[in-house]
Amino acid sequence: MEDKRKIIIGDKTMTRKELFEEKEKFRKVQAGMPFEEKIKALVELQKIAYSWGGKRDVVIWTRK
Amino acid sequence: MKKTIEVINELKKVGLLKDYAIGGAIGVLKWVEPFFTRDLDIFIIPIKEAEKEVINLSPIYEYLKKRGCSWKGQWLMVEGTPVDFIPVDALEKEAVENAQTVEFEGVKTKVITPEYLIVLLLKTGRDKDYRKIEMLLKQAEVNQDRLNKILAQYGLSEKFIKFKEVRDGR
Repeated sequence: MEDKRKIIIGDKTMTRKELFEEKEKFRKVQAGMPFEEKIKALVELQKIAYSWGGKRDVVIWTRK
Repeated sequence: MKKTIEVINELKKVGLLKDYAIGGAIGVLKWVEPFFTRDLDIFIIPIKEAEKEVINLSPIYEYLKKRGCSWKGQWLMVEGTPVDFIPVDALEKEAVENAQTVEFEGVKTKVITPEYLIVLLLKTGRDKDYRKIEMLLKQAEVNQDRLNKILAQYGLSEKFIKFKEVRDGR
């Protein structure tokens, strides 16, 4: 029932179910990104974990 | 990571290892959306078969040390990337032999295919491994026939069925 409730975001209207389907579609698109782009994204995630997440043991993969 | 791959390719070129492939989280990342991980797992087929239960990776370490690589905790730092060199078992050897050749910024490397990654992760069977299997099943192109064949070959079909039952809430 709750999954059929409509969500309005600006000029976009969708149900919760559709919202999660959209998210899943986006993940599949992300999965198709070039390997190089994914590693760049990973390095950004490592930077976030190090600074924002306070994980000082994380090594950020940058070239020497 | 390009420089790291180049150094690992050198190990193969100079005859310090027979073959290798990227596995672990970075292997999975090749096929799914980006996610956080710390290290690069390299599955290696050593030049010599293991003798008397001993796998000697010292020649690889000596070579890398000369190239300026050093230990950081459990990892060898290869051009700024923490690397785990994992000598293969039977399943991993097959995974390396059947890995896909890909290019990373123009440098050739091999990555373990989704089907073998799923089986390897299932075999290890930690929560984080199951999460990666889930991502591969949802986001990667998985050849179901090939997967079933590998699962059966290594006696993991039942474990996979149980994993799917838990996942589907049955």
